[in-house]
Amino acid sequence: MTESAQKCQEELSALKKEYEDFVYIVSHDIKTPMRAIANIATWIEDDLGPDINIDILNNFSLLKNRVARLENMLNALLELSRINRTEMEEYEVNIPKLVKECMATLDNKTNVKFHENYNLYNENCITLGKKLNKVIFNLLDNAVRFHDKQIKNVFIDISENETEYQIKISDDGPGIAEEVRQKIFSIFYTVNSKDVLDSTGAGLTISSKIVAMVGGAIQYTPSVNNGSIFQINWPKIISVKN
Amino acid sequence: MIQKLVNILLVEDDEVDVMNVKRAFTKNNIKNELFVAGNGVEALDMLRSSIIPLPRIIILDINMPKMNGIEFLKIIREDENLKNISVFVMTTSNEDSDKINAYNLNVAGYILKPLSFEKFINSVATLKNFWSLCEM
Repeated sequence: MTESAQKCQEELSALKKEYEDFVYIVSHDIKTPMRAIANIATWIEDDLGPDINIDILNNFSLLKNRVARLENMLNALLELSRINRTEMEEYEVNIPKLVKECMATLDNKTNVKFHENYNLYNENCITLGKKLNKVIFNLLDNAVRFHDKQIKNVFIDISENETEYQIKISDDGPGIAEEVRQKIFSIFYTVNSKDVLDSTGAGLTISSKIVAMVGGAIQYTPSVNNGSIFQINWPKIISVKN
Repeated sequence: MIQKLVNILLVEDDEVDVMNVKRAFTKNNIKNELFVAGNGVEALDMLRSSIIPLPRIIILDINMPKMNGIEFLKIIREDENLKNISVFVMTTSNEDSDKINAYNLNVAGYILKPLSFEKFINSVATLKNFWSLCEM
């Protein structure tokens, strides 16, 4: 490496560190006044007593809902800023078991049918387990959360070749309209208005950042049944890209 | 039998958070005497100068000016008169390093300040269950 290239590299690392610290400090310091808004709203509501006007009550719940959104957004920013700083331990995971754990921790599994298909020589692998878990969980959570059918089919297909795992998570839900496909990995972007379906719009951003960090790839394609297919290439040997 | 209520010292710099704890005490019908210090230095002064009766329980924030919660904990754990006080950390910091540091200094609990007051009332109720055991 030439001297100037090395200097650029050092400056880049310093800037990245500065950015991470900035996001972290800002998010933390904003949380205190934000919590105060939510708390004081509850106190006022409480002090107004039981005969409170229904409009006022609705406005209080709107106020608290929006502060909750703000908190979710801040937490997502914090998580993004810390992606390559926390939970960086490689350990042995059993892939089908990891998928099962992700399914078990989903909020709402009513009417969801999971279809798992593994094509693996060895179900165990040594990898960044927490990160892989996060990515699979986020994709499963999206597949279920945004599903619009009575019975929700979610498919998990995992296979391997010499260098990587191919993880495919697909569903027979509404899919993503062509004109917005390039936006889905942007932070806080949601296809529906947040008033229709309350979500933060950070899951795919965080997942794609994790996948990029491990040197893999994530890709969206529409499925023939109009649903979504997310395909991830997760390398077997991880060289973290900072 | 008259129950002896334990004293509690709250070390917290944010005014709203102090009011929050007081409100949550009222909501949970907690009658224990609550003393408040705005940071670690002030708390140490209160503890060492016997301005207040020695508390059995301390509720401690981490991010504070002058002396933060972890620095304060280190000092009281090395002080013969203060080292046996049960300390509960109550903070917004979800940082692993803060949790590890706190547990290494023998805290009785680590509570993340929740966004909603309703959840906070429940957290305080849990604390109350703990210190009720100290009162028996």
